[in-house]
Amino acid sequence: MKKIKNYIKGVFEVYCREFKLILHDQGLILFLTFLPLAYPVIYSLIYNPELVKDVPMVVIDSDRTSLTRELVRELDACDQVRVIGYAADLPEARKAMDNHDCFSILEIPTGFTKTVGRGETGAAALYCDMSLLLRYRGFLVASTNVMQEMGGELLSKDINNIAPLVSTISTGDLMPINNVSLGNIRNGFDSFIMPGVLILILQQCIILALGMAGGARHERAAVVGYNPHNNSNSVIGTMIGKALCYFTILALPIIFLVHYVPLIFSFPMAGNVLEELAFLTPMVLASMGVGFVFQAFVTERESVFVSWVVTSIFFLLVSGLIWPRYDMPSVWKFLSGLCPATWGVEGFVKMNSNGAGLWQVKEEYEMLWILAAGWWVAAWCIQRWVVLPAAGQRSSRKSKINDKALSQSVIDK
Amino acid sequence: MTDGIQPKEKRGIRAIMVRSVLQIVRRPLMWVGMIGLPLFLFLFITSMFEEGLPTRIPAAIVDRDGTSLSREITQTLGGMQMVDLTRTANSYSEARAALQEGKIYGFFLIPENFEANLLSGRSPEITFYTNMSYFVPGSMLFKTFKATAIYTKAGVAVNVAQAVGVDAEAAAPLLQPINIASRPIGNPQLNYGIYLGNSFIPGVMQLMIMLMTCFSLGQEIKRHTSTRLLQMANGSIYRAVFAKMLPQTIIWFVMIFFMTAWLFKYNGYTMSGSWLWMGLSELLYVLACQGFAIFIFGLLPNLRLSLSICALTGILSFSIAAFSFPEQSMYPAMSIFSWLMPVRYNFLIYADQALAGRHIYYSRIWFAAYFIYIAAPVTVMWRIKRWMARPVYCP
Repeated sequence: MKKIKNYIKGVFEVYCREFKLILHDQGLILFLTFLPLAYPVIYSLIYNPELVKDVPMVVIDSDRTSLTRELVRELDACDQVRVIGYAADLPEARKAMDNHDCFSILEIPTGFTKTVGRGETGAAALYCDMSLLLRYRGFLVASTNVMQEMGGELLSKDINNIAPLVSTISTGDLMPINNVSLGNIRNGFDSFIMPGVLILILQQCIILALGMAGGARHERAAVVGYNPHNNSNSVIGTMIGKALCYFTILALPIIFLVHYVPLIFSFPMAGNVLEELAFLTPMVLASMGVGFVFQAFVTERESVFVSWVVTSIFFLLVSGLIWPRYDMPSVWKFLSGLCPATWGVEGFVKMNSNGAGLWQVKEEYEMLWILAAGWWVAAWCIQRWVVLPAAGQRSSRKSKINDKALSQSVIDK
Repeated sequence: MTDGIQPKEKRGIRAIMVRSVLQIVRRPLMWVGMIGLPLFLFLFITSMFEEGLPTRIPAAIVDRDGTSLSREITQTLGGMQMVDLTRTANSYSEARAALQEGKIYGFFLIPENFEANLLSGRSPEITFYTNMSYFVPGSMLFKTFKATAIYTKAGVAVNVAQAVGVDAEAAAPLLQPINIASRPIGNPQLNYGIYLGNSFIPGVMQLMIMLMTCFSLGQEIKRHTSTRLLQMANGSIYRAVFAKMLPQTIIWFVMIFFMTAWLFKYNGYTMSGSWLWMGLSELLYVLACQGFAIFIFGLLPNLRLSLSICALTGILSFSIAAFSFPEQSMYPAMSIFSWLMPVRYNFLIYADQALAGRHIYYSRIWFAAYFIYIAAPVTVMWRIKRWMARPVYCP
């Protein structure tokens, strides 16, 4: 009984000391507050217009009939396209495109209307700049809609000439086609990417903070200005104490990330916040496990920037948000399975955007618990045999020279 | 402390360069940051999108009609290359649940009495649902579903025409009076790798160049070796920074040449322009990133703060430099920042030169922008000198 009491006391002491350490460390404060509070807001603001509208287009109309003018008008009326003018020929249009004045060229050949009048298909060509797929997508959607709309009108007009009786069978549209976007109902880019990015930010902020805290232990107390060692007798007790401390500090930022950011920027919020928080708990734990493992490779506070920041790109691309996981090359699919954020993003998007309940993301939830357990076991080994011995050696060596070094550094300053 | 100083007090540019090389060679972290991580991401990004576009996207069809016509639609849809009709769902709610669980990315709904309503002219509606929480598979499904619906409609129109005694051949041309064929310039297969690799990989380079530049400069101040560096440069901050950065510049040049070859040669990404201009752009890009990083370091000569700013700008660049969401569509207050990132100009030159094969005249402004970054450090050198002369480390 006393043993347990002592154990809990040890954990609690680690918890308190870690708190003090974090509060005295500007770098950690920045990672644990600025990163989860400011980053999502900046990101969301970048994409907040959601839709790509009125992308400029130049038209080469070699036919110049009422039909082609209507075609251009219809395109111009689309949300995605803005016709900025006519060009006489392809070189002139191309010049406008080269000058970055427009991003697509619609070329209507001579005889277009005659071809349509003959009952054949009138063909126009749409040249698109391909630097951004969103622009291309807009042009494609607009041209398909116009094609379909005008095609339908022409059909109902002309079919009477061929078979007057048809119109008695079908008045108006023969078979209306509807499409509904689920999850991200406005097809907005912000609403698509941000729910996933929020989770990535959470994971990265935990790992960066733990990494930096790990780096601080390797640095001489003289440089850092305080003794960064914070251990209890048991390795797992130390880890639990620290994890609880990070949990406490991150509680508010997490609620901000999963509830208030979507609220402020009107992202989809189809899920239940409590279920989402329950879902993210193992992800936070697993990320801490990764952070504890990462500490083995960090020998200096600032090196986390160099060695970890760029991994965000990796985590974003393997998360399944951009490229579906089922279709990834097997190596990357396997590696993506080891990342807490992969399952976190998958599950969170399903819950937050598509309104899935916790029971519907069972697979992700289970995987997160398995990952949390796996990473914590790895973390225990790393802490037990790599991180603590290294820090122990230093501290015993340092305790003798510590005072001397400290006074020396004060003189230096 | 490994500052690579020889006991004999060598001075001059060459001595600083030797010291700088030793600093790189002796720290595995420098290897990781300058070579390991960039190479890993080159390989990762290109191999991730090797296929170009995802195919066989899981989808479902909800056939509430169960007639020969609805089965025909199912077959048409099943034959589409993009779609994998893995599941059959009996109701809307069943399909929606499967979509929520991520088992399918969309479904196609044929309503009850579809065929009967159609043939009696009651205009039954066909509806398809796509999960736009996943943009790429969602958009691909949208395209396929829409095409299927239009084909179906066309087929129905022919049937109706035939029903009133019109020859099928006479009715056929009416089905699509207008066709607008899209011609994607430079990326006809809509290869996602070409689209993403050409922007993200230089983005990775910018991030790493900026971080490594600030890291190596900040180390001098953190470890109090900057006074020695200044001494070796005989008090000239220009000489000190130039000689310290030159070995890194050479490594980055090699890396960026490899990157260019990797993208356009080994992976065969579109290269419609001249290698000369692209090569020049990449070289200037390295210098611009270094210049930008030195400028930031000059503003905040503190290792952690300058690294934080580099990490912030470097990571935000992937969004703000408008690789996916056009700068013209952003809020004006945000889009200004787009023009602050070196990688933006690299991307614009790539789009002009490699993708569209434009005349160099049209990229002149982007090239000129590089020189602003290269010259930027001049304005803050005095600050760097002041801090290097009296190094203070704030954790």
